[in-house]
Amino acid sequence: MSLAEPAALPVAAAVPPRLHIVARFSARFKVSLPAYLLLLPSLVFLALFTYGAMGRVLIDALYQRATPKAPLRFVGLDNIAAVLTDPAFTGAVVNNLIYAVGTAIPSIGLALLFALALARTNFVTSALRAALFLPVLIPMVAASALFLFIFLPNVGLLDYYIGRLLPVVPNWLGDPDIALYAIMIITIWKNAGYYMLFFLAGLQSVPEDVMEAAHLDGAGPLMRLRYIILPELKPTFLFVTVIAILNAVTQVDHVFVMTKGGPSNATNLVLFYIYQQAVEHYDIGKASAATLLTLAALMALTALSFRTMANREGGA
Amino acid sequence: MLFSRRLMLGLTMAGTLASALAFPALAGEGPTEIDLFFPVPVDGKLARDMGTLIKEFNDGHPGIKATAVYTGSYDDTLIKTRASIKAGKPPAAVIMSANFLLDMQIENELTNLDSLIAADGSTKEKFLGQFFPALQGNAVIDRSVYGVPFQNSTPLLYINADQAKEAGLDPNKPPQTWAELTDWAKKLTKRDGDKVTRWGIAIPCAYDYCGWMMETLTMSNGGRYYNEEFGGEVYYDTPSMLGALTWWSDLVNKHKVHPPGATPGPAVSTSFISGNAAMMMLSTGSLTYVRENAKFNYKVAFIPRNVRNAVPIGGASLIIPAGVEADKQKAAWTLIKWMTSPEKSAWWSRATGYFAPNMAAYKTSDMVDFLNKNPDAKTAVEQLDVAKPWFATYKTVPVRKTLEDEVMLVLNGKKQPKEALVAAQKAADETLKPYNAETSLKLP
Repeated sequence: MSLAEPAALPVAAAVPPRLHIVARFSARFKVSLPAYLLLLPSLVFLALFTYGAMGRVLIDALYQRATPKAPLRFVGLDNIAAVLTDPAFTGAVVNNLIYAVGTAIPSIGLALLFALALARTNFVTSALRAALFLPVLIPMVAASALFLFIFLPNVGLLDYYIGRLLPVVPNWLGDPDIALYAIMIITIWKNAGYYMLFFLAGLQSVPEDVMEAAHLDGAGPLMRLRYIILPELKPTFLFVTVIAILNAVTQVDHVFVMTKGGPSNATNLVLFYIYQQAVEHYDIGKASAATLLTLAALMALTALSFRTMANREGGA
Repeated sequence: MLFSRRLMLGLTMAGTLASALAFPALAGEGPTEIDLFFPVPVDGKLARDMGTLIKEFNDGHPGIKATAVYTGSYDDTLIKTRASIKAGKPPAAVIMSANFLLDMQIENELTNLDSLIAADGSTKEKFLGQFFPALQGNAVIDRSVYGVPFQNSTPLLYINADQAKEAGLDPNKPPQTWAELTDWAKKLTKRDGDKVTRWGIAIPCAYDYCGWMMETLTMSNGGRYYNEEFGGEVYYDTPSMLGALTWWSDLVNKHKVHPPGATPGPAVSTSFISGNAAMMMLSTGSLTYVRENAKFNYKVAFIPRNVRNAVPIGGASLIIPAGVEADKQKAAWTLIKWMTSPEKSAWWSRATGYFAPNMAAYKTSDMVDFLNKNPDAKTAVEQLDVAKPWFATYKTVPVRKTLEDEVMLVLNGKKQPKEALVAAQKAADETLKPYNAETSLKLP
């Protein structure tokens, strides 16, 4: 739009608008044509691989077979109702909520702590930043494979060191009470370094003169954190929180590799539930319905957070 | 200049791609091109061995050009095969987990192989007669052949012979009954106060493995797990399975000779290799891994019985998906027959550690030499006499999972065996309901 508007304005001014709406549109279109042409390749691919797929999911969610050999028939919202009443789905939603909260808060907290500690750039902090960022570079699947060995009962690294201190060695991934938390530890380990980057960037925007003034007025480090740094970091917090929650729903590679949702569905998350419906149950209707529900929740969340962000920026 | 040259290059490439996509038929006239989807369910160099095998086939069959396509695990292979059937471009042949065949047949996704067998002038009986009888159950559905056994396994009892001797047990007389096994496990468990430093026995329980081990224990207890003739029934809430699960639970919760919780297969084999578990029940497919990594003497034995000696088979069969064109079907059939011939079957068995489904493979001289050098591989073959088919029902995986979820709760001491099996039966019946509605409960 910004490309088109400066050129389009004189045209609109020269012709009386209400008489030549069509002409105005075609003129506008002519001027913005290059922009649309430039966007076309991405639009084509988005349509093919994103919106097309979403449309397909929408259609698939409305159809179901009554018995294995019966033909597909239109069932309206039955699939969505079936998903909502499925205890496995509600279980997965609860797990996912625990997982989202339990990974977002600690990893954001750690990330802030790291960023504050390493805000100044020198040789030592650069090295430490690189070290903390390293887990981000390891693909989730590879990290999961590593942690499989770390969590191995009796012979794994964790039991080798911690097991000596505990009276009974826990079966980290094999006990339904512990497995979800074991999975969460990996997510925190992997994401804290990534979120640290955003906070480091956010800290750069804290005005130096305000900090200096506060310093001169006798504000201690805690006061400066509470009244200057944290308020300045609010947009960063908001952004990172959204990213963290999106990650909690979309990153389930380690569940695939380490537990397959087990034991006894203890680590079953929503995305894995969708996979199970589509692949194990071969129930495309139900899988599509669950996808739609997840998509709707994610979109609502994103829209809400962007609105809050826009409001904040508008108000400032 | 640079820009326009790049543009030209890009346009040329795009053009080539487009014409390749648009006119695939023009490239034809040569050999029949077919794809073979193959999974790699165990660690090792299987993918390279498959490349070697297919190259040898292509060199010997100028009219056919086969390409081996690696498709991940057994589950991934099912997903990819189903996706390509839906897209209208199924591969000509797939190595498919043997217990997925029934489910695929119910969904009309398999080619009936009877006519291809008849076209060779052979009969079903003669064709199937080449393979161990235990393997035929998973290949035949409604008296028609849908799969050809390719790589197969059974569960075995592995024993750390050094630790057994140290505990005053004779590894040459391995435990044959559950009572003897319980006794061995108690003697082999080492404790430091309340803490166990060495487990007597470990049995894997992760999705897939857990169901297979439950079938193993149930069969050894005289049970059946599922209806071999009909895909709409499983026998979870039965005395034979109750006995099997109670014994497993007792090993964990009462005798405390088995690690608590659900332990996946690789964790069990690592425990065994590191000397942390003195015995384990695991697939014959792990034999090569144990042979190459154990730094102690080990012994393999039949799975001990409570009522009778019986074990399920595991592994995969070759199938032709539905919707493959006639010429590709014929080419795939040639490939399948070649891959399951005695010589190739024997070669694949030695390369991978699976046993060879073709009985004649064990009469080839290379195989006789191999078995003389590795007598432990013989135990797996001998156990085939008491082997039976792998459970396969309508929606095999979800039906199996209902049991596995409950077994995991029992092994974690959170549920009693009886209530767990009642819950598993209820959930499985629910999953099987639509199939029964169409078959056993569809009345005139």
